[in-house]
Amino acid sequence: MVFSGAGSGDWSAPPDLYGRPRADRAMLGVARVVSGVLRLSRRGVRRQPVVRPVDRDLRLVVRAVTAEADGVVSLRLADPAGAALPPWRPGGHLDVVLPSGRCRQYSLCGDPADRLGYRIAVRLVPNGGGGSVEIHSSVGVGDVLTVRGPRTAFPFVGRGPYLFVAGGIGITPILPMVHAAERAGADWRLVYTGRTRASMPFLDELPGDERVSIVEGMPTAAELLATAPEGASVYLCGPPPMVAAVRGEWGGALHFERFSAAPVVNGKPFEMQVGVGGPVVPVAADETALTALLRVRPDAAYSCRQGFCGTCEVKVAAGAVDGRGRALSEEDSMLVCVSRAVGDRLVLDV
Amino acid sequence: MPDPTDKVVLHARDVRFDWSTVPAHWLPGEPVASHAMNTLHLVLPEGERWFVRVFKQALPHIRDEELRADVLGFIGQEAMHAEAHQGAADHLAAQGLDPAPFVAQIEWLFRSLLGDRDLTGPAEHQWLLERLSVIAAIEHFTAVLGHWVLTAPLESAGADPTMLDLLRWHGAEEVEHRSVAFDLYMHLDGRQGRRLRAMVIVGPLLMWMLVRCTRWLLAHDPQRPERPRWRDYRRLARRGLLPGPRELLPAFWRYLPRSYHPRDEGSTELAVAYLASSPAAKAAG
Ligand SMILES: Cc1cc2nc3c(=O)[nH]c(=O)nc-3n(C[C@H](O)[C@H](O)[C@H](O)COP(=O)(O)OP(=O)(O)OC[C@H]3O[C@@H](n4cnc5c(N)ncnc54)[C@H](O)[C@@H]3O)c2cc1C
Ligand code: FES
Ligand SMILES: [Fe+2]
Ligand SMILES: [Fe+2]
Repeated sequence: MVFSGAGSGDWSAPPDLYGRPRADRAMLGVARVVSGVLRLSRRGVRRQPVVRPVDRDLRLVVRAVTAEADGVVSLRLADPAGAALPPWRPGGHLDVVLPSGRCRQYSLCGDPADRLGYRIAVRLVPNGGGGSVEIHSSVGVGDVLTVRGPRTAFPFVGRGPYLFVAGGIGITPILPMVHAAERAGADWRLVYTGRTRASMPFLDELPGDERVSIVEGMPTAAELLATAPEGASVYLCGPPPMVAAVRGEWGGALHFERFSAAPVVNGKPFEMQVGVGGPVVPVAADETALTALLRVRPDAAYSCRQGFCGTCEVKVAAGAVDGRGRALSEEDSMLVCVSRAVGDRLVLDV
Repeated sequence: MPDPTDKVVLHARDVRFDWSTVPAHWLPGEPVASHAMNTLHLVLPEGERWFVRVFKQALPHIRDEELRADVLGFIGQEAMHAEAHQGAADHLAAQGLDPAPFVAQIEWLFRSLLGDRDLTGPAEHQWLLERLSVIAAIEHFTAVLGHWVLTAPLESAGADPTMLDLLRWHGAEEVEHRSVAFDLYMHLDGRQGRRLRAMVIVGPLLMWMLVRCTRWLLAHDPQRPERPRWRDYRRLARRGLLPGPRELLPAFWRYLPRSYHPRDEGSTELAVAYLASSPAAKAAG
């Protein structure tokens, strides 16, 4: 498998496919075609189009902040000049860049037919990473936020029947789905759970009939699924234990979205040095490397915490990585939100 | 109707398949159809790893954050496809049909012939763009075939459920990410001539390669099935057990006009619905 000089056409093809003692003739033919294409490709240097940068950021103004329940506010975002916003579907979310530079995802929970405004609702997570606290305490009417999207990571499809299951703030992507199912005349049920009624937003926006079950406390998976119509697709959004329980129980079609990282399972503790010569932080068995990293680097970039957005990728200077999540854009790096050390030590190159 | 919201955030699913009970002729009594689709296990692992290598080279040139996210999602999915088909290829070997001689040719094709060719400067960049246009053309067919496999009457023909899940999970992700390679090519180059050149070469070459691979598998099958004939193919296509000329030829022509966009191929709805019930995708979470 050696070749001499790009494009020279002088290739040694692999041996004949059926074992005849010569180079494979068909592959020699393929090599000739490819070498021709390679030669032609060089002519592309002439009139090479320049790559045009694409800026998809939306700058939206906060038009209203509304208390929806204990610890939940909704924001109405609109174009400052009142222009129509990009369309979205139930299950879509926005990436919202906060004044501090943090980026968090929020599900669109308004009406997709309303093209003049987006509504998102944010639950206060007092001991979280500060994003929700920031929205609750320092974002007000008239502020301008950078927003990316809408994007759909929780697509709503089909004709039903549906069982919607929402846990707490997980109602946000489910609410537009319920309304879409209702408009389409589909057969649907909703189970909406929360700690207390007072903490559950949008109760007044749900149809007040027996298709909606409001439950205080945490029912078992079997209880959550009890009202599923025959042949239903389940659409589920809630805290990780609820998602795990329903996944274990439901044999039919299941669509779900998590707002936060899946729990770490079978993790081993290890040590992580943040930068060559930098501080060493212990990573506990049940926490992610990202959580540990944030203790010494509160500004470290992260977003989805589930290994799919790539924001948290960092270079690794030493140590073997048990790589998880989506493909890396660079060699010798890791997604700290899901990957761990193979051994007991890693050195990050940050 | 094309709809700009008919697009999903891409993520790889960490699927596993247990091949232990899957027969080589996983479509019972249909060695030709089984092997025509087994070709994917021989061609795809190397082909999809090549996509990943070429796309990684393209990443630093991208000036669009959303496209970049799509490309990274695509890379993750294709990397998983390669591993999953590799498992099926290893299982064929375990059943006495060692694909190594054929795979050696595919390796040579994707690693040497379509590799980096020791180029530098503008020639290197043009070869990158050329290969991106080739991948966009291949991805047109993977989307068409992905849609086909989601709708083909394979379970009523008794297809092995594990193999069917591999093909449909893969097909569904091909439909999910069908626009990425095209969008990437259009972002970094977009010239119509290069796009046409790629399709004119990829279309016939891909079909020839799959036919050649099917023949080779049938010739080396230890169960010694009968020699395949074109009328076998016509019969299988008529029964919907293989994609027929009526699916493939129009697909070729559809790619050529300037107005082509992959979002008009296949259905995201169908793909999403399958992934919500696929045993492998559900287990992967
Ligand atoms: C696709 C997607 C859609 C989302 N939609 C919404 C939405 O509509 N409304 C909303 O309020 N949040 C939503 N989130 C979560 C949101 O992006 C933030 O993670 C959340 O606001 C907390 O941000 P933080 O910076 O305060 O804490 P983070 O740094 O994000 O999280 C810190 C800790 O809090 C935990 N945590 C995160 N959210 C919750 C919660 N709701 N209850 C309890 N613990 C939590 C995390 O597991 C983590 O351990 C969504 C997330 C994703 C990925
Ligand atoms: S934060 Fe999204 S991949 Fe790690
Ligand atoms: Fe693939
Ligand atoms: Fe693909």
